[in-house]
Amino acid sequence: MGHHTKDIDISEKFEFTGREKSVLGGLMGLGVICLAITYFQGSDDHHLRFWTNFLHNTVFFTGIAFISMFLLAAKVLAYSGWHTVWKRLLEAKAQFLIFGLVSILLIWLGSQLGMHHIYHWNFPNITDEASECFDPIIGSKAGFLNSSFYLGATLVFGGLWYACVIMFRRLSLSEDANGDESYSHHKKMKLVSAFFMPFGGFTSAALIWLWVMSIDSHWYSTMFAWYATASWLVSAVALLILTIIYLKGRGYFSYISGEHIHDLGKYLFGFSIFWTYLWFSQFMLIWYANVGEETIYFDGRMNDYPLLFWANLVMNFALPLLVLVRNDAKRKFGILTFVCVLVLFGHWWDFFQMIKPGALHTEHMWHSYQCAGDHGHADDHSETGFLNEAPNSDATAMLTNFQDDNHAHDDADHAHGDEAHADGEHHHHDEDAANADEHHHHGEEAHEDGHSDDHGADGHHDEHHSDGHHDDHHGDDHAGHHGGEHGDHGGHDGHHHDTEFRMGFTVPGLLELGTFIGFLAFFYFVVFTSLAKAALVPKNDPYLDESLHHHVGYGGGNMEDGGHH
Amino acid sequence: MASSKHNEVLYGLYNDEEVLMDAIRNAHKKGLDIMEVYTPFPVHGLDDCLGLEESRLHIAGFIYGITGTMTAFGFMTWVFTRDWPIIFGGKPYWSVPAFIPISFELTVLFACVGMVITFYTICGMGPGITNPILDDRITDDKFCIAFNVNNASSGDVNEMKAFFNETGAEEVNKKTI
Repeated sequence: MGHHTKDIDISEKFEFTGREKSVLGGLMGLGVICLAITYFQGSDDHHLRFWTNFLHNTVFFTGIAFISMFLLAAKVLAYSGWHTVWKRLLEAKAQFLIFGLVSILLIWLGSQLGMHHIYHWNFPNITDEASECFDPIIGSKAGFLNSSFYLGATLVFGGLWYACVIMFRRLSLSEDANGDESYSHHKKMKLVSAFFMPFGGFTSAALIWLWVMSIDSHWYSTMFAWYATASWLVSAVALLILTIIYLKGRGYFSYISGEHIHDLGKYLFGFSIFWTYLWFSQFMLIWYANVGEETIYFDGRMNDYPLLFWANLVMNFALPLLVLVRNDAKRKFGILTFVCVLVLFGHWWDFFQMIKPGALHTEHMWHSYQCAGDHGHADDHSETGFLNEAPNSDATAMLTNFQDDNHAHDDADHAHGDEAHADGEHHHHDEDAANADEHHHHGEEAHEDGHSDDHGADGHHDEHHSDGHHDDHHGDDHAGHHGGEHGDHGGHDGHHHDTEFRMGFTVPGLLELGTFIGFLAFFYFVVFTSLAKAALVPKNDPYLDESLHHHVGYGGGNMEDGGHH
Repeated sequence: MASSKHNEVLYGLYNDEEVLMDAIRNAHKKGLDIMEVYTPFPVHGLDDCLGLEESRLHIAGFIYGITGTMTAFGFMTWVFTRDWPIIFGGKPYWSVPAFIPISFELTVLFACVGMVITFYTICGMGPGITNPILDDRITDDKFCIAFNVNNASSGDVNEMKAFFNETGAEEVNKKTI
């Protein structure tokens, strides 16, 4: 290319050292051991902790691989130039996609063989209208939530993603070898990207619904795919920065300057805020509308998993905001490393809180499920559960109670405020009654069969509707009618079982951390293997010069590494 | 900056920002005192090259923003807990999630409007104020280095002209603004 490339070594190639291989291999071993312990540990016959850990990490790293390809496509389509010096890293990260997809298929296989019951929609006969266990909500979603679609979508969508990854990588390597001034390779990369961007954008939403959101099968949220994808995006940017800092430490990438790092730091900052925006949009709509089926999701997480819920916001919003808001924080490798590790862990935590409470809840439902076939369940659920609960333990009141708690901190001399507060409580219950009616109608609409029976069967039922728990015990209601015990309601009611501390669900334990580290090592093993196969500098890329002279116009000086200016 | 006093200015026009940057470095080496550089678009690295201090506009922006947040949040808190408490949708009077969008909007509004006003004030721009321009083409495709030659001797002026010639200026003009 141009004269500017003379002063750098354009044939610089990453060497995957034996030491790195053994360290990564050792950490992968740690991950395998942790997974094995979670598999064999405890009396849990469905190995819930093992399967959810496997799903959690698989989804997390598959998403990072997907987003890496997405970023590449976005860069190419947007005529971006500055990313060229680190585009090999994205290419290498995208290569993990195939391993992630195979792991997802293992989870699918496990669900088909009855090895786990993470997915409520996959309970036997639950979408069969003739069955006593028919669940109308899941039934209405059965066209999407079924095992064939899960498999088909993962294979077809994921397969096409991976095809794009391979094509893009081949073009990029071939450009290195044969690229010329016609830039024909780059033009073809644009075609691949132009297909991948919209296709990947829409299908990733479908897959994230299937893989993660469908754990809470009754739940509705149109924001979820955006929010989960933003979580992937921030994680991918954090890993990218960490990788660059590591490789610079090893002596590579001398031409990646504080300018590139600064812009990546802006990504980290900006996309953290973007994630928060989506998180809040989802939360606020649900909080405001307060429809039972939707509220239950946050009700459970806020009240039974407060640490998961609040730490998520602190790690992924408050700290990145406060630390990175200063201009020069985005250029200091120490600060950036700290924030990257924090948000990487934070978004892993985010996926943890998307998956674990729902999966634990589903397990409780499975235990009292009447159509389980020969996967029988223990009859040891002695709690009478929520049927004896006072009506004010409902989701509505809990969400508002939580705020009332804050309210209670107001000074006592705020007489008017207190008065208003008391007043508010009063209205609340009225409002709840109104809600109960509303939910009731909704219930009748949604559950054409069976619900009038419910009222006969238990007088508290209206309250349950106002609870916002109604989706929750729906299957169990049926179970109840048909002669089963009202077992284990307490568990998914959220006031008995779920509040009990359970390591690996209430908070991630050491085994979860070990699994995470194992997967991270696996991910990096793939990335480094792929990275070592090509030169680090894409020497025939049309934008290489621009990338080598990237400048963000920062006047503050204080360059960390004295790179190119 | 803008003062009522007229300045005599010698300026050279360049075609390319790379040439301009080289010329600026050259001027520093020669010890020439650049009055101002005009470009039709922001040139990355120019601030560094001219040794300009980092702008403090964003600090002002942060202060305006936080003022906006506190105004919105404080006002809503006062209205909904003290002045006129009303129940909306069964929520408590002090409903933080509902306050966040408005707090956000007011943060943006205060920061934007405040920064625009500050920027215009600092730069001496505004409705009804006309600012003389050296050459119309610096708003289009030319890059300009300007020297103040109010008190320059003819030797100095010749040195500047020589500088323009050797650094590749397309045109050299003198103007009083």
